[in-house]
Amino acid sequence: MAEELLACCYKVHGRDFDKGGETSTEIKSLLASLDLDPQLIRRAVIVAFEAEMNVVMYALEGRLTLSITDEDITIEMDDRGPGIPDLESAMEEGWSTATDEMREMGFGFGMGLPNIRRNSDGFDIRSEVGTGTVITSTIKLDGDG
Amino acid sequence: MAEYAHGFRLDEGLCDGCLACMRVCPTMAIRVKHGKALVLPELCIDCGSCLKACPQGAFTATTRTLEEFDRFAYKVAIPSPVLFGQFPLDVRPEHIAQGLLAVGFDAVWDYGVEMRLVTRAIVDYVEKWRGPRPVISITCPVVVRLLQVSYPRMLEQLIGVHPPREIAGREIKRRYSQELGLAPDQIAAIYVTPCQARTISIMQPAEGGRSYLDGSVGIPQLYNTVLAEAREAATSAPPGGDWDPVRSAVMLRWSTRRPLADLLKRQRYMSVTGLPNVIRVFDDIEKGKLKDIDFLECNACWGGCSNGNLTVDNVYVSQAKLQSLMRDLPDADPQTEAEVARRYPHEDYFTERAPEPRTRVVVGDLRERVRRVKEAERIAAALPGLDCGLCGAPSCAVLAHDAAAGEAEMSDCVFISRRRLEELRRLHHDHAT
Repeated sequence: MAEELLACCYKVHGRDFDKGGETSTEIKSLLASLDLDPQLIRRAVIVAFEAEMNVVMYALEGRLTLSITDEDITIEMDDRGPGIPDLESAMEEGWSTATDEMREMGFGFGMGLPNIRRNSDGFDIRSEVGTGTVITSTIKLDGDG
Repeated sequence: MAEYAHGFRLDEGLCDGCLACMRVCPTMAIRVKHGKALVLPELCIDCGSCLKACPQGAFTATTRTLEEFDRFAYKVAIPSPVLFGQFPLDVRPEHIAQGLLAVGFDAVWDYGVEMRLVTRAIVDYVEKWRGPRPVISITCPVVVRLLQVSYPRMLEQLIGVHPPREIAGREIKRRYSQELGLAPDQIAAIYVTPCQARTISIMQPAEGGRSYLDGSVGIPQLYNTVLAEAREAATSAPPGGDWDPVRSAVMLRWSTRRPLADLLKRQRYMSVTGLPNVIRVFDDIEKGKLKDIDFLECNACWGGCSNGNLTVDNVYVSQAKLQSLMRDLPDADPQTEAEVARRYPHEDYFTERAPEPRTRVVVGDLRERVRRVKEAERIAAALPGLDCGLCGAPSCAVLAHDAAAGEAEMSDCVFISRRRLEELRRLHHDHAT
């Protein structure tokens, strides 16, 4: 296991559409200050943003942990929320339980989870109905994925 | 490290270290060391904010004078549409064209044709584009440089269509060399520019290679003489008798706030002006938002090119004048449309390659970079967080970053050390009293 060089924790609040997206902005400036490859930064920002918006839309609150080793970036979102009863469907593009209100705001088109997986080199999702969901995304630092 | 040429000069003798430029620089590319401004070239995007902000006039735009083009046998003006909104309303576009001829140009180019040609090419490009959306306009050189410096992964979204001024330059060389029997390099295609950023995009195109244009002259450099000559033309020449460079609203619309809104009817279109707004929209795009916009027009200057730093009139006044001119003009004119129909199929409008990202200066391995970021965080925690700028860096975070990289001292902060305060007193107290 590679040694962890840096770890940061961010709290994300459910239903906070006003501040939704701020965590991924912070993550972007942190990764940029580390002079990482812009392509990797963009993928990590998309992963963080989609995970953040999932919490904003569906959960009560979430904790995003960003950790960096000299081999990869790991983004883990651990939320307290309703959980996902049908994980297989949730991973399909276009599958969504978003309300009309969320769609009007430009979210909930069923692209979030597939988008996270597409931008990750390693992806894991565990969910327990009534408790919450944990999403783990890993992006390798040397490869393009 | 690559050398980046920029569209301005800094006269160190005039700079009194007042911090005004450092405070307005949107990419935090300026530090003030030992009482003098210092520009970090790899971060500068040529927006010209420092030129406007400097009370001493220490920054000057590096445009040319018309006399510098005297080595060419034939000089052709390509007037930015912004020019036509800079004069009193009774001075009509045809008088301004005569003014340009009187100050030394041999011809004034019929630039509305390229606007229409390029609009057609943009519509074609956007309809065929299968990459990530939105497609981003390439007309504002500052926006292109902002992408190169801060959003390199979005460079592929820049539209691969030359701006109209480049197509005009190419056609000018072709047509006049044929008509006059001159070599293309004896003909100067000169852009009359509302900003110094256009100048640098001609001297050093972002996509590499060479511009079709030979240079540019800023509007203020020509203004007084063109105004006098145009007034003369307005009183002596019979109305409607001379060639009119602005026959339809097409050309003037390019210098308004939403230039292509009416022309790109089928595409979902958005226009953003002002660098802070552009940066916010680019941040959103980077997160994967705004995918339902097809074409995004961005101007670094608030209100569009009429607010460029080489203009004479206030942006609101000149926009009102352009609106008034447009009201009297048809949407299209047969002469322009015929020329567009003739030329469009025979010319190539698409660029060969996208601009490259600015080379990143990566110092040290990841471990070392993490150490610096942690060190910067530690330093930042000890700084007041007021961003007063007295240390010579635009914010506490930037000072912390510079100090962690060994390029500044934590003791540059006036809250941390009296040494800095005394240095500032020495530098500034004398001329304050």
